[in-house]
Amino acid sequence: MTSITSKVCIVGDFAVGKTSVAERFVNNHFSESYLTTVGVKIDTKEIEVPELGISHKLVIWDIAGSERFGHTEFAYLRGASGYIYVVDGTRASTLRSAMNLQDQINDKLGGAASVVLVNKKDLASDWEVSESNVEALQSRFSQVFTTSAKTGDEVERAFEKLARQILENDMRAD
Amino acid sequence: MQLPAHVVSHLQDEFFSSARLFCFLIDEDYTLVDAWGDAERWGLDDIQVGHDMRDAAVFLVGCVISEPQVLRFVRFSRQHVAHVHLIPAGRQSYVVLIDARDEHEPTQAKQQTMNELRLMHARQNRLINRQRELISELVEIRSELDHHRQEAERGSANKSRFIAMMSHEFRTPLASIINYAQLAREQDTSRNDIQKSVETIERSARHLNSLVEALLDDASLSAGRLELVEENFHCHGLFEDLAGMMAPMAAEKGLSFATFVDSDVPDVILADEVRLRQILINLLGNAVKFTQDGGVRLKVTYSNNRLVVTVSDTGPGISSEDQEKVFQAFERGSRRSETGAGLGLTITLRLVQLMGGEVSLDSQPNEGCTVSIYIPVKAQAGAETAEDPVLPVPDQDALASRPLSILICDDDDDMIALVEHYLHRSGYGLITTSDSSDAIAKTIKYDPDLVLMDCNVPGIGGVGAAKLLRQQGYEKPIVALTASRLGEEEKLAFTRFFRKPAPMQELLTEIKRLTH
Repeated sequence: MTSITSKVCIVGDFAVGKTSVAERFVNNHFSESYLTTVGVKIDTKEIEVPELGISHKLVIWDIAGSERFGHTEFAYLRGASGYIYVVDGTRASTLRSAMNLQDQINDKLGGAASVVLVNKKDLASDWEVSESNVEALQSRFSQVFTTSAKTGDEVERAFEKLARQILENDMRAD
Repeated sequence: MQLPAHVVSHLQDEFFSSARLFCFLIDEDYTLVDAWGDAERWGLDDIQVGHDMRDAAVFLVGCVISEPQVLRFVRFSRQHVAHVHLIPAGRQSYVVLIDARDEHEPTQAKQQTMNELRLMHARQNRLINRQRELISELVEIRSELDHHRQEAERGSANKSRFIAMMSHEFRTPLASIINYAQLAREQDTSRNDIQKSVETIERSARHLNSLVEALLDDASLSAGRLELVEENFHCHGLFEDLAGMMAPMAAEKGLSFATFVDSDVPDVILADEVRLRQILINLLGNAVKFTQDGGVRLKVTYSNNRLVVTVSDTGPGISSEDQEKVFQAFERGSRRSETGAGLGLTITLRLVQLMGGEVSLDSQPNEGCTVSIYIPVKAQAGAETAEDPVLPVPDQDALASRPLSILICDDDDDMIALVEHYLHRSGYGLITTSDSSDAIAKTIKYDPDLVLMDCNVPGIGGVGAAKLLRQQGYEKPIVALTASRLGEEEKLAFTRFFRKPAPMQELLTEIKRLTH
C-alpha cells in the first residue's frame, strides 16, 4: 500500500471549534470546556483509501483562531495541501472571518483543496447562520458541511472529502 | 567591549540549559545529518542519522526552508511546545527547537481571557439584538392592537350608525304600511282610497324587501359566501330591459334617458346575468335618483374581452372627498337627504370585483358623474341560452287538477292565512300547523300530497323535519318556503326551495307541477 503524507491546516475565527473538530477526528473525543489554542497544535491521522491502495496520513495543523492572518500565521500555513475552514453556526460573524481568511490564503499561497465546516450543529436554538449565508459559502467553496464536533456529525466525512480532494489534486499534478 | 570567550561560553551554556534547546541538521530530503542537545527531553531519542526526520518531527511535512523562519508555539506532542527555528545553510537546514512551555502557559491564559471576553461581548451583542427585536415586535404588536382597537371602534361606530340609519329606513315604510292598513280598515274609506292604500302598502313592502335583500347581499359579499352563477344569455336583451325599466323613471322626473350599445358587444355572453342586472340597476337607479335636470346615459362597449358599461348623468356630481366614501357600506356622501341603505355602490363594487372586474368613478361637483365598470366576460358566439320559462296562464295553471291535500307548516299566522287563501282558491285541501314536530306527526298520519315547510319554525326546524320525514319514508314533494338562507346541503332536504316573499303565482304553478 502506498503511503502519502499531506499537511492540512484548520483555520477560522477564535472559539469556532477548530480544536474540537480536530480532536473529534483524530481521537474521537470531545470536551465541553473551551481552551484557547496558542500557536499551533499538530496531530496526525491516517486514512485508508483501499480502492486506490493508498494509506493517506494527514498531518493536521490546528492553528490559533484569527479573523485575519499575520506574518506568524502565514509561517504555519506554508506547504499545506488542504485547508479546513471552520465557521461557528451560532455566530454569523465567523462566516465573514472564514471568507477573509480564504481570500488571504488564495492571494498569498494560491488555491488548494478546501472544505468548510459550519460547526456547532448541536446548538440549533442559538443558530445564526441563515440559508442565504450557507448559499454564499457554497458559491465560494466546493464542499460545505454542517457539523457538530460534540456529536461527531459530518466531521469524519468532511475530513475524508478533503483528503480525497488532496489526492485528486496530487494525481493531477503528477 | 567584546566579551571574553569564556564569558560567552558560560552564557551559551546557561541559555542552552534554560531553553532546553535541541538542534538538528537535515539535508534537502529531510534526512538527519547531525543532532545536538538532549533528544530524549524532546521525545526524539530514537532518531538516527540517515533517517527521514519528517516521521519524528511531523511539523517538517510540507516545510520549505528557503529563508530563516520561526514557527512559534508549536505543540507537536502532549508534552512538547517549542518555538521552531528553521535556518537554511546551503543545501542543508538547521532546525532548532526552543522549549516554549514556560512562555506558553501565561500567553494561553492571557489569550483565553481575551477570547472569553470577546465571546461574552458577542453574546451580549446577541442579547441586545434580541432585545431590540423583541422591542420592535412589541411595537409592531402594539401598533397592530391599536389598529384592531381603531377598527373595533370604527366597527362599533358603523354599527351604531347602521342601526340608526336602518331604524329610520325601516320605520318610514313600516309607518306607511301601518297607517295605510288602518286607513283601509276604516269603514268610511272609499273603495278608491282602499285601492290606493293597498298600492302604497305594496310599494312600501317592496321597498322594505329591497332593503333586506341589499343587507343580505352585503353580508354575503362581506363573508365571501356569495357565488356567481354564470350562464350564457343575450346581453342586448338585458340592456333593452334596463332601458325599458329606467326610461319611464327618468321621464317621470323630466330627464332624458339615452342608451348606446356598441355593435361590437357580443350578442351572447357567459356571465351571471342576475348579478350584472343588479349592478346596472344600482348604477342607473342612482343616476336617475340623484339627477334633477338633464339626463342619464347608458353606454356599453366591448374590447379586450371586457364588457365596459358606462353610466353618465348630469346630476350634482360627487366631490373628491365623497368619492372615497361612496363605495363604503352605509355611506351616502353628502347626499343624505335621499333614501336608501347606502349599500348600493358597495354591493356594486364588490360584485364587480367578484366578477374579476374594476369600477372607475369620474365626477366633479355640479358637473355630473360617470361611473364605468369593466368586467371580463366571454363572448359565446352561437351558444344556446337558457330560455326564459314561459309564464303559465294565471289561475288555470294554478288550479289543482284533482282533489289534493297540502300540509302547510309556518309559525306566522298571516303567512298561513295568505297561503291558505291562494291554495284554497286553487282547489287544494289544507292541513296547517305552526310546529315542525307536529308537522311530522300530521304528515305521517294524513299523508298529504305535498308539504310546504317554513324553516325557522318551532320544534326541530323545517330542515330537520324534512330530513326526518324522508327517513320515515315520506316520498312526496317537500317544498321549502322560507325567509332563511339555506346552504346547499340544507337545500337537498327539499324538493324545491322558495324564498319569501315568493311570487304566489309561481309557487302555485310549481305546486301543481309537483303534484300532477
